Amino acid sequence: MELIINLAINGISTGMLIFLIAAGLTLIFGLMDVLNFAHGGIFAWGAYAGVWFFSLTQSFLLSILAAVVTGLLIGLVTEYLIIRPVYGNHIQQILITLGFMLVLSEMLKVVFGPDIKAAETPSYLSGSWTIGDVTIIKYRAFIIAVGFLVFIAMQLILKHSKIGLIVRAGVMDREMIQALGVNIRKVFVGVFMVGSALAALGGALFAPSSGVVYAEMGMEFGIFAFIVVIIGGMGSIPGSLIAALLVGISNVFMAYYLPILSMAVTMLIMFVVLIFKPQGLFSTSGVSNK
Amino acid sequence: MMQKVQKSTWIYLLFSLVLVVIPFVKDERWFLFLLIQIFIFGIFAMSYDLLLGFTGIVSFGHAMFFGIGAYSVGITLERLEPTFFSFLLGIFFAAMAGGIVALIAGVLTLRLKSHYYAMLTLALASLFLVLAEKWRSLTMGNDGFTFKIPELPEGLQDHRNTVIYMFCLLSMILIFFGLRRLTQSPLGKILQAIRENEQRVESLGFRIMPYKVIISVISGVVASFAGVLYAISLRFVDTSVFAIDVTLDALLMTIIGGVGTLVGPIIGAGLIEFAHHYLSELSDVHWIFERWIILFGIVYILAVIFFPFGIVGTIQRSFAKRKQRKQEVTKSKKIAG
Repeated sequence: MELIINLAINGISTGMLIFLIAAGLTLIFGLMDVLNFAHGGIFAWGAYAGVWFFSLTQSFLLSILAAVVTGLLIGLVTEYLIIRPVYGNHIQQILITLGFMLVLSEMLKVVFGPDIKAAETPSYLSGSWTIGDVTIIKYRAFIIAVGFLVFIAMQLILKHSKIGLIVRAGVMDREMIQALGVNIRKVFVGVFMVGSALAALGGALFAPSSGVVYAEMGMEFGIFAFIVVIIGGMGSIPGSLIAALLVGISNVFMAYYLPILSMAVTMLIMFVVLIFKPQGLFSTSGVSNK
Repeated sequence: MMQKVQKSTWIYLLFSLVLVVIPFVKDERWFLFLLIQIFIFGIFAMSYDLLLGFTGIVSFGHAMFFGIGAYSVGITLERLEPTFFSFLLGIFFAAMAGGIVALIAGVLTLRLKSHYYAMLTLALASLFLVLAEKWRSLTMGNDGFTFKIPELPEGLQDHRNTVIYMFCLLSMILIFFGLRRLTQSPLGKILQAIRENEQRVESLGFRIMPYKVIISVISGVVASFAGVLYAISLRFVDTSVFAIDVTLDALLMTIIGGVGTLVGPIIGAGLIEFAHHYLSELSDVHWIFERWIILFGIVYILAVIFFPFGIVGTIQRSFAKRKQRKQEVTKSKKIAG
């Protein structure tokens, strides 16, 4: 029994990390109609920035802050240099962001060196609680808490604030919101930066839980995020949360019982969703009308 | 009825003839090997061009077809006797496996926005990479395995590299002309119409899905054949055939050479393979050349933004413009006269 609970907690925390990447991805897609294949690269940069800052300052809070700032900055640069020239052209967007993804992960190797780096957990979050027979690793619980907080904050901001109203209106009808005097370009930049910062936050939280960071992690988790976005539905944040938890939990359970199939089960979920509900479990858009 | 042979056909045949003569003039091993790689990746990039250039489908998992082809033939030749029959059987398995995977990926996602096919193929390719790493009893994991290729008849055995060279060259030429015929056929026209305006094609009464699936299957089969040739030329397979670098290579070759031109990807393959060769030599000079993916990535991004038609596309456009201008001049002269 305690094994199952442990695995479940493990799965939920993995799912929360995937959610942080997928949420940024789906936010950017929902508003800007841009699928950012470089998103996983920003996740990896967040992880490296967090690890590097932690080794400098020994402050976990500062390292997370540094990762978020890194995400915001990379988001700004990416929007300006990579996304802006190709607005409205899907094929070019997909092509160019994949190229940027490879540049981002290779840049990691240039800046931080090509080998795997160790990541430390801060002392106050290491160790575990024991309740009866169940041991809960503190850091996993911390990730779950942060994930839920981010989800609630996103929902509150999107549903109950002026900025959220503008963003949601922008998703529905871009021209109309421009006609009402909103500079949608600025909103685009802002959303892109926030989405990137979410990925970077995910990276900074991921590093201590896995213990190591490496340049290829961006691609690995980027693929998970795509799968989650397909399952949950493009542009839906609650959909991403539920799909991320589903993928995280099924992945962890499979990795324990049938390690060879851990990747396959995720794909299987995606195939089933694509066959029966191709626009995703919660999606409002996504079926091709071009 | 005899069809009029296009002028460009003669030019291509002339170039093919030059390539046939090369091994008899310059018999160095590394040079032949480089050219073989160019032919193989030329085939691979052409299959990519069918999707990207002619139909407007972006695949990020093209490496999986390449890998499927390489592993199919490798495993068949290793498990069975290395005879010509098992070689043909390997090609057959490669084509079947590549076609089936392409069919599944196509049926699942091609009715959705272009993003989905890109994402699904990327995910599928990573699945195959994991599979090749984990299924050690079949693939030997990361170490890969060597295998024997069929013995040639007496006399030819000493010139094995030349024979492989000829085989790859002939394959490339046949596939090139075959695919050119395909893209100029009514099917090809419909595909290009889909690329330009899907809704319009649909309203003209064509069902889009079957066409897209057909072309993705053809592309998958051709790509796995390129993988077969790759495995044969190395007599060795490992997991690197599934790496994202392979897909990136195909993308770069297609875009730099010129999307939607078929001959462009071959030229792109030549350029990229030579660049690989010389950049890896340069890594002794400066460490940055070891990270050549950065250079390629930057070149690729710049090409997508500033050079979207590639080398062949840009040349074709300037020719077309000049022709148009000439026609306008003669027209206005006629009117004036």
